[in-house]
Amino acid sequence: MYNAEELKAIFSDVIKDNITMEAWVWLSADNNIINNTAFNTAFVMIPRKTGKAIITVTQRQQELLASIRPGFAIDYWTADRLSRVWLLIKYDSTDKDRYFRVIENLFSTAEMNEQVALYSALPVLPYPPLWAKRCMEGIRSNIGTVLEAIMYNNPYPAENLEEGAWNQMVLKAFFTEKQVDKLYGLDNRANKELARILIDYAKERYAAGREVNRMLWYLVEKFVTQEQLNNMKQGHFYGNELLT
Amino acid sequence: MPLEQSTEKFDMVLIKGMKFFDPHVHMTSRTTDDYQAMADAGIVALIEPSFWLGQPRTGVDSFKDYYSSLVGWERFRSSQFGIKHYCTIGLNSREANNEALAEQVMEMLPLFIYKDGVVGIGEIGFDDQTAAEEKYYRLQLDLAKESGLPVQIHTPHRDKKRGTQRSMDIAIEHGLDPHMVIVDHNNEETVKEVLDRGFWAAFTIYPFTKMGNQRMVEITKQYGPERIMVNSAADWGISDPMAVPKTAALMKLNGISLADIELVTYRNAITAFAQSGQIDEADFITAIDQSAKFEGNSILRGGQQPRINKSSIIIS
Repeated sequence: MYNAEELKAIFSDVIKDNITMEAWVWLSADNNIINNTAFNTAFVMIPRKTGKAIITVTQRQQELLASIRPGFAIDYWTADRLSRVWLLIKYDSTDKDRYFRVIENLFSTAEMNEQVALYSALPVLPYPPLWAKRCMEGIRSNIGTVLEAIMYNNPYPAENLEEGAWNQMVLKAFFTEKQVDKLYGLDNRANKELARILIDYAKERYAAGREVNRMLWYLVEKFVTQEQLNNMKQGHFYGNELLT
Repeated sequence: MPLEQSTEKFDMVLIKGMKFFDPHVHMTSRTTDDYQAMADAGIVALIEPSFWLGQPRTGVDSFKDYYSSLVGWERFRSSQFGIKHYCTIGLNSREANNEALAEQVMEMLPLFIYKDGVVGIGEIGFDDQTAAEEKYYRLQLDLAKESGLPVQIHTPHRDKKRGTQRSMDIAIEHGLDPHMVIVDHNNEETVKEVLDRGFWAAFTIYPFTKMGNQRMVEITKQYGPERIMVNSAADWGISDPMAVPKTAALMKLNGISLADIELVTYRNAITAFAQSGQIDEADFITAIDQSAKFEGNSILRGGQQPRINKSSIIIS
């Protein structure tokens, strides 16, 4: 587990640097977190106050953040996104069931940018195992920015998803032409079943006359010989015996 | 005279370089082909009012999912074609007649009306002009006033003139500024009073049942462009998502000035709905520009849809 207080502090530092004083006074007011209605309204209204400009994060802030929560980064986030995530972790979470219901309700009524903020908050929310199903649901989304929020600079999936769900996410990243190298935990969570599925996928792509992302071989190479790998890269595939 | 030539072909050259805003179109019911054609014709932004889906909903969660889709999936779908998607949120008049359900929907509305890109309460008003419709129309006017959002009023098909008058009377009674109220689906019979009383007058160009665009040309000539806007209200019926650009083209052929055309097919709708504080014209183009430079990555961020050659027999 990471240090939640340190994380809140660095978040508020970055937010302060990136929004107006007026917006900061509004955002940091305790009024926003006194009850559920105020919290819901504040969450929804954040972009009206903070704007949606892309934030600037200093190198020192980046390094600090990486040391508090490895794998997590906020580069190229917008001001409203970071402010929303900060509000989520500031809200009272002592009652686990209640906190779960409150956050789930935000998910189920979320517009596009709210979804992005919510999914990118997964690695910093309390009670990590609670959100695995929600994360799997997000991976089923067809909205590019939502997928990116789950896939890029987000350590939650690698840390919390069981193998089948993890494999689905990686596969979906290839299918939807994401920058696969931005997925956290690829090395640790490479597995034989994923390699098998990816080889099948590569076969299918070759049969259709389409190219494959070269990153695919990176996830396969641990599980085949160099010769097999070279052959497959040339489009010569094997039967199903390869990985059995 | 082009007005007489009902079979005249729509020539896109007429509207080349013009941009349009369709302030009433139900994209949920339309295909990707429509989105592509609209983008090609210069539609840069649109408003999707929440409405009846053709058959009544039976539970509050259906409303919740519908409102969520307007700010979620449909907004995304639109962005893939470079069109900025806004919406108005409200309980439509037909379904206001199911009071048990209407109560639950009213309770949920505050969750949605403050969301990003929600530019008004709509489309609300009268259909059958029942007591239940009036009750929820009034409650939603109060909600609009409280939230500072414009109101998009659906006027009834039957007993239209009377229904339009009543809608305006009630809005005034609830203390709404007419400048915050867009009265939709006008015709030759309703327009004068709507404009005289200071409301915005929207016209729906919709074949057979609402306005034709030749009639729209005449109305614009007669009343001028002030506080008038046109929309397609294209939905699951026989309708035309190209109604706004087609009307602009017909106006041009009939000698209406480019400045006036811009007002009724673009600017007025923005002026009216931007009172929500939710419309920034800079967003109309950034949907594409921002993506192009996002982390120097050439793959468009929201996943811009690739173009396909529709006239080819080959599908690859």
